[in-house]
Amino acid sequence: MSLLSVSGVSKRFGGIVANRGISFDVEPGELVGIIGPNGAGKSTLFEVITGFYRPDEGEVRLDGARLTGLSPDVVCRRGIARTFQKLRPFQGLTVLDNVMVGALTRTTDVRHARERARELVGKVGLAEKAEAHARTLSTGQRKRLELARGLATEPRVLLLDEVTGGVDQRTIPELVRLVRSLHAGGLTLLVIEHNMRVITAVAQRIVALHLGEVIADGPPDQVTRDRRVVEAYLGLAYVP
Amino acid sequence: MKAVAPATVVFLCAGLAPLVVRDAFLLDSLVLVLIWGSAAAAWNVAGGYAGQISLGHSAFFGIGAYAAALIVTRWELSPWLGLAVGALVATAIGLVVGYLSNRLRGPYFVLATIAFSQVLLIVGSRWRGFTAGSEGIPVPFRPGFWTLGIADKRVWVWIALALAVLAYLVQRYLDRSRRGYQLVAVREDEDAALSLGVPARWLKVAAICVSAALTAACGALWAQYIGFVDPFYVFSVDLSVKFALAAIIGGLGTALGPFLGAALITTVETYLRAQFGGLGTGLIGIYLIVYGCALIVMVRWVPHGLVGWIGEGLRRRAAPAAR
Repeated sequence: MSLLSVSGVSKRFGGIVANRGISFDVEPGELVGIIGPNGAGKSTLFEVITGFYRPDEGEVRLDGARLTGLSPDVVCRRGIARTFQKLRPFQGLTVLDNVMVGALTRTTDVRHARERARELVGKVGLAEKAEAHARTLSTGQRKRLELARGLATEPRVLLLDEVTGGVDQRTIPELVRLVRSLHAGGLTLLVIEHNMRVITAVAQRIVALHLGEVIADGPPDQVTRDRRVVEAYLGLAYVP
Repeated sequence: MKAVAPATVVFLCAGLAPLVVRDAFLLDSLVLVLIWGSAAAAWNVAGGYAGQISLGHSAFFGIGAYAAALIVTRWELSPWLGLAVGALVATAIGLVVGYLSNRLRGPYFVLATIAFSQVLLIVGSRWRGFTAGSEGIPVPFRPGFWTLGIADKRVWVWIALALAVLAYLVQRYLDRSRRGYQLVAVREDEDAALSLGVPARWLKVAAICVSAALTAACGALWAQYIGFVDPFYVFSVDLSVKFALAAIIGGLGTALGPFLGAALITTVETYLRAQFGGLGTGLIGIYLIVYGCALIVMVRWVPHGLVGWIGEGLRRRAAPAAR
């Protein structure tokens, strides 16, 4: 059975359809990329999976158990963690305390949570910044912080919204390495990414969205050559 | 341990003061500082730690004051029982208000709390048959500990101190416990906290309930100490502002801050009343202007309050020495 399954999800805002009958599955240990032009419905889909939005139709299941209808904190405790496209670290807290909040979802022992947080802060390469306040971090560091914070909740599936968005070119390879190492460690990931070079390099499978619908689902080289995907991104003139 | 040391000194001084100080005015001021400090600390649990800024906390204070006064005057029972009943009623109302206002954020939540306290003001001042309406309730003096008929102000200092230590300990619990971390996360960014598995909704309600119960306890003791409950005072927005201001001046989300803030505010208020109170009605409200100015100054230049400001000063002093 697939680990995460999205079936027939539709989400409307007034007259605008953000998601229309979206269905796909994620197998355990897979790294699935989600691509699509601006407004394709990628972020809305994330909000639906994580319980921030309730879909108008369809449902999301984790390991067969229904997630739809649960509140976001319960969805997290069931095993889904996320990062935000517009980063939302706890500005007034230190890096370590930020990650501790995640760790405290899995343990009631504050000391244990602190140890676990320190471990993860090191893992994402922020050890030197552990005691710094989150507001003093650069965008790249904040992305790492959100990753560590999400990992601290011990997710079965980690959802990343724009790993490399807004980050300078030199930092991208490091972040890509980090995501790859998490995947190599056995974690299942669902990744929204604008940078085509990045996503085709890390993802085993890509789901392409356009105007709220799935227009392609398959291996990266197949999806990037798909007629509808090229059309959606570049316009008809570029379709071979 | 380092964080607890200043508080230990402060509370120890307050506890020993009655052994040295004989002046009734000073002892009276100390009792009031401890009660206002406890109320500000109670406010801080919801406003400072959980980020639920309320300007309607006088509602809970009034509930406590009325519960104690009514239980004494109508049923002739112990005001201690009144304190417990007041705390329970405040908790129940905190639950309802917290639940109903759960989705309100920022200024909308503040407005809801103000409205709520004003509803209670109307109930308190109009329900003549039960609350004696706008005349208020004089609390009869019946000597004894169980009736809280205590003339000796030194004993009042210790009673108020016990309440203050309780309020302080509740805050210390939030400083170091799992729930405290989670609450602070909710204050910083509710959606991010939710995404990390923090049960934000019920934590906010729980914080409001604890805050409400403590505030009601302050109200109950205050009513017995002063001996009179006036609906226009105990349910006033002024009083709510006073709790909030003491916590903000002292340091939002710090355990000792509200007590320092309350000490400062009570002193300044007493001084201003003494200076300008006699000149007729014109300047009697001058402390409100001072409140307003103090709030602007603190929020603009000393956002972390007295505790943050003093702490930073000490660190700066210590840093060169360490190097």
